[in-house]
Amino acid sequence: MTTVLNIIITGLIMGGIYALISMGLSLQYGVAKILNVSHGEFIMIAAMLTWVFVNRGIHPLLALVLCCPLTFIIGFLLHITIFRWLNINSGTAAAYESNAMLLCFGLYFIFSNIAMQIWGSNPVGYQFLNRSVAFAGTVTAINKIVVLIIAVAVSILFYLFLTYSRLGKSIRAASQDPVAAGMLGMNIKMIMAICFGIGAMLAGIAGTLISMYSQVDTGMGMGYTMIALIVVVLGGMGSIPGSMIGGLILGFVGSIFGYIEPSLSMVAYYLIILVLLLVKPKGLMGR
Amino acid sequence: MSKTNDRGGARIKQQIIPIVIVAVLFGLSFLTRTGSALRPSYYVVLFVSILNYIVLAVSWNIFSGPSGYISLSTAAFFGLGIYVSALLGEKLPVPLLMIVAGVISFAIAAIIGVITLRLRGVYFTIFTFGLVLLLQYFILWYEVKFNNLRGRTVMAVPYNTVFICLLILAGIVLIAAYYVKRSRFGMALTGIGECEDAAAHIGVNTTMVKVIAFAATSFAIGASGAAKATTMIYIDPPIAFNVMMSFMPVLMVIFGGAGSFLGPIIGAIVFTLLQEQLTTKWPKWYMIIFGVVMIISIVFLPKGLVGSFGEMVGKRKKLLLIAATAVFMVVGFIFTKLLAAAGTNIGGLVFPLLFGIIGFVIFANVLKRGKEAA
Amino acid sequence: MSRKKLLSVLLAAALGLSLLAGCGQSAAPAAAASSAKEEAAPAAAASSAKEEAAPAAEKSEAPAAEKSEAPAAEPAADVDPNKESIKVGAVRSQTGVFAMFDQTAFGPCYRMWVDKVNADGGIYVEEYGKKLPIDLIVYDDTSDMNQMTQLYQKLILEDQVDFLLPPVSTAFLSAAVPIAAQYGYLMIGAEGGSDTLKEALAKYPDFFSVLNYSVTQVPAIVDLMLEQGMKSAYIVYIQDTHGIEYSSAAEPAFKEAGIEIKEMKSVPADLADVTPIINDAMASGADAFILFTYPQITYPAIEVSKALGYNPKMFITGPGGSFESMKAACGGDEGIEGIIFEGAWNDKGSPEAAQFAKDLQEFNKDDPAFGMDWWGHIVYYASLEVLQQAIEGAGTLDNKVISQYIKDNHFNVSMGEIWFENQEIAHECFLGDLGQWQNGYPEVIDADENRTADPIVPKPDWP
Repeated sequence: MTTVLNIIITGLIMGGIYALISMGLSLQYGVAKILNVSHGEFIMIAAMLTWVFVNRGIHPLLALVLCCPLTFIIGFLLHITIFRWLNINSGTAAAYESNAMLLCFGLYFIFSNIAMQIWGSNPVGYQFLNRSVAFAGTVTAINKIVVLIIAVAVSILFYLFLTYSRLGKSIRAASQDPVAAGMLGMNIKMIMAICFGIGAMLAGIAGTLISMYSQVDTGMGMGYTMIALIVVVLGGMGSIPGSMIGGLILGFVGSIFGYIEPSLSMVAYYLIILVLLLVKPKGLMGR
Repeated sequence: MSKTNDRGGARIKQQIIPIVIVAVLFGLSFLTRTGSALRPSYYVVLFVSILNYIVLAVSWNIFSGPSGYISLSTAAFFGLGIYVSALLGEKLPVPLLMIVAGVISFAIAAIIGVITLRLRGVYFTIFTFGLVLLLQYFILWYEVKFNNLRGRTVMAVPYNTVFICLLILAGIVLIAAYYVKRSRFGMALTGIGECEDAAAHIGVNTTMVKVIAFAATSFAIGASGAAKATTMIYIDPPIAFNVMMSFMPVLMVIFGGAGSFLGPIIGAIVFTLLQEQLTTKWPKWYMIIFGVVMIISIVFLPKGLVGSFGEMVGKRKKLLLIAATAVFMVVGFIFTKLLAAAGTNIGGLVFPLLFGIIGFVIFANVLKRGKEAA
Repeated sequence: MSRKKLLSVLLAAALGLSLLAGCGQSAAPAAAASSAKEEAAPAAAASSAKEEAAPAAEKSEAPAAEKSEAPAAEPAADVDPNKESIKVGAVRSQTGVFAMFDQTAFGPCYRMWVDKVNADGGIYVEEYGKKLPIDLIVYDDTSDMNQMTQLYQKLILEDQVDFLLPPVSTAFLSAAVPIAAQYGYLMIGAEGGSDTLKEALAKYPDFFSVLNYSVTQVPAIVDLMLEQGMKSAYIVYIQDTHGIEYSSAAEPAFKEAGIEIKEMKSVPADLADVTPIINDAMASGADAFILFTYPQITYPAIEVSKALGYNPKMFITGPGGSFESMKAACGGDEGIEGIIFEGAWNDKGSPEAAQFAKDLQEFNKDDPAFGMDWWGHIVYYASLEVLQQAIEGAGTLDNKVISQYIKDNHFNVSMGEIWFENQEIAHECFLGDLGQWQNGYPEVIDADENRTADPIVPKPDWP
């Protein structure tokens, strides 16, 4: 019984982080048509920056607020420069999609290695609420509970933003039919850039949250990119609710395998998406 | 240049190019004379890398170039080849290893091809990518759990032997690529890339074409993995199923020009040389410079070197582009010499290569603009 | 259409045959110079199965024979009065997943060594009758095996270096040692000491392993546990050569000592969350919690244990536990108080060791990523000092002679007096096998005369 409860708690926490990471990737692909394989690098940059901030005496929660605009600006600037040039230069939408993915691979090279030149490759960390609460025979770290609460809050806020705000509605319109949305007078280019920025920002939030409960290092990005890719495919490309569900599923799978056979968890992840893709070729919530 | 070949007077040309390939590769085989089996020349070592990448890039391009299905499964079949060598290396000679690895890769690729038929676009890409990691993690788990080991030693084989084997494999792949592009089969693949449904409607058995192309190119990838493994000596699952092996061929093809015949070859040669030069001359900065070159070439040459070259209208512009690139490379060379004279001996081929790429990018864009303005 | 197909098949066949013929001819004259031509010619012909599968032993002996005659055959190895430097080559992972090791483990040691030797004017080589400074060539393999093997070939074939330094990690070392042996180079290992390398030791007479590992450290753990009256252990090991080896050494050793192993859990290198494992270990109630893992798992495990209040009587960590930089990752001196690590040495070991610790910190003071490694640093540095003294003692740059000199002699280095037994540093030369962080200081706590402080068991509470 305790184990089951443990599995649920761990699964919720992992799932919350995974969902947060993948929503950004899903948005970037859904609207901006960029499969951002450098997504994890934004997580890494935010995590390392948080560590730097905390070492300067800034509270981690304040660092979270600082990292949001920073990562947003990086993502936004990248989109209005190189991705826009790429869009002009690639002839077709399909060519743009594949070129954009490769371009992100180049970004991955650059970001991860510049970070390594600056910060080295040792794992680093700081102490934040490193205590626990007991609940029905289980103990859970407080920092993880805080992280889970923030992750859930951000996810809900983001979903509300997409559903009810004016900009959110434009984003959804642009993701469904960019041409028609453009005809209706929306600035599609700007919306895409904002989406890419928001995607980067969500990754940044995730990065800061991860640094609150675990050590971080400059090589951590790729692992999270892989997780995000799996989740996004699981949930369906471009579907925000799909990412949330996918993230939770993966979190629970990871948690269950963490208790049974940790070394098989990656195998399980990939088996799940391989099987799912065979049954539903566009993911759970894919259109 | 390749597009105009299909018509009329190009018949002779069609047979000249394979002969040229054979002649060049035959010429290369004499490189083995510059060293013995125990002490090969470094050129042989370098060419093993280049040929390996040529095989991977050209094979990738046969299927993914025209069909538009971006496969990231290269590392999976390459890794299978490596494991074939690790397990059977002491029992079989290299050519047989390559054939066994090829057959296994072919069979697995055919099965995967059949079950992934419904996947399109990015889903196919991620499925193939997941395959690499699935194999990596599963084999690692299996080896640790049941064999209580992580890595395996591969029987070392003299470089000259590996070189000759890869030379032959590259020859076969190149000739196959050349003829496939000009065959009905190649046209069917292009049709799939342009509009799969339309291709199906006009009577192309798209399923069959895709599976055969995917499996056949995987044969070559597996075979080259088996050959290359013998120079790696010690392997474990993360080394064998290295995801970089999936991305490198794609980058090379995109850089050289997807869908063209020469593009992947040029891409493989330039990237391998650049990699070798940067890791030795500018260690630490290799990845960053490599990333910048990648981004520049993707953003400003989305059709690759060969594609951009093909966009030039008229012989004059083509010559101009080649001349400009050559001038830039010479400038890079002189720059290296000047630096050496000034006491900082870095470079080798780094500057000529980088300058050449930059020159090509600038002039290809300027000349294209000129065309649009006219 | 059919004619074209036929033509292509014919061409392919012609290509294959002509290439085979071409290389068959080509190998013969080139091999004539080699002392091992019988092996060379057929192997290059790429045809017969038997020559391909020539036993590895033969391969490692053949080049050895070649090298001993080398002075006559190759001008590069001959005594060249104009020689101005000793070329030392290394392929190190300066980028990629292994970059951490070059930045913090062997990296600082070889850089300081070269700096010191050159500041001193070089190494005196009798053959040349003068001091030769070191010309260090370092290539970056980007943590990729393909690059690593290729670049060692470049160092040997193109740059014709005099000595090779080892690559990063046990896996890479396993591949680099046969390459070095093939061309008659000696290689002294650095990061990566492992039981699996024992095979290599037997096969390659010019390979030396320096780091202490499972063979001595697992018994040390057992001794310490028995001394402190520990009854049970929970073992986590990483799916790597290190983890596999330590766990398989621990299993019989613990059984024999009567220590119960509650659980042996293998974890992947990129484990997403260690919480399940800590929970499981806590539930098992084992006296000792043992992590044969790397920093990416060890450090989070420490933090999660802290958060969950898991405080076993002994908390033993693998590689990374001995890094000074662990303090930055795990909450400073008090955050790691009482953690036991594989290692170990400190500046109480000997005056030379104290001097070395001071020098290394001084040399790397501008590198923010640097931190002392209280397991490997002194051993790595000692291996370089051995190489230097062996070159001076043998008075030559001939790798074979130097290798023999290393086997035959005792050396006075930072670690004190050391010598090699079966190509490994003799166990009694080490300054310790286990350490414990006490007030931020790495005390050696082996249950023998190396002990510099009594172990604190049970481990004090987390802060």
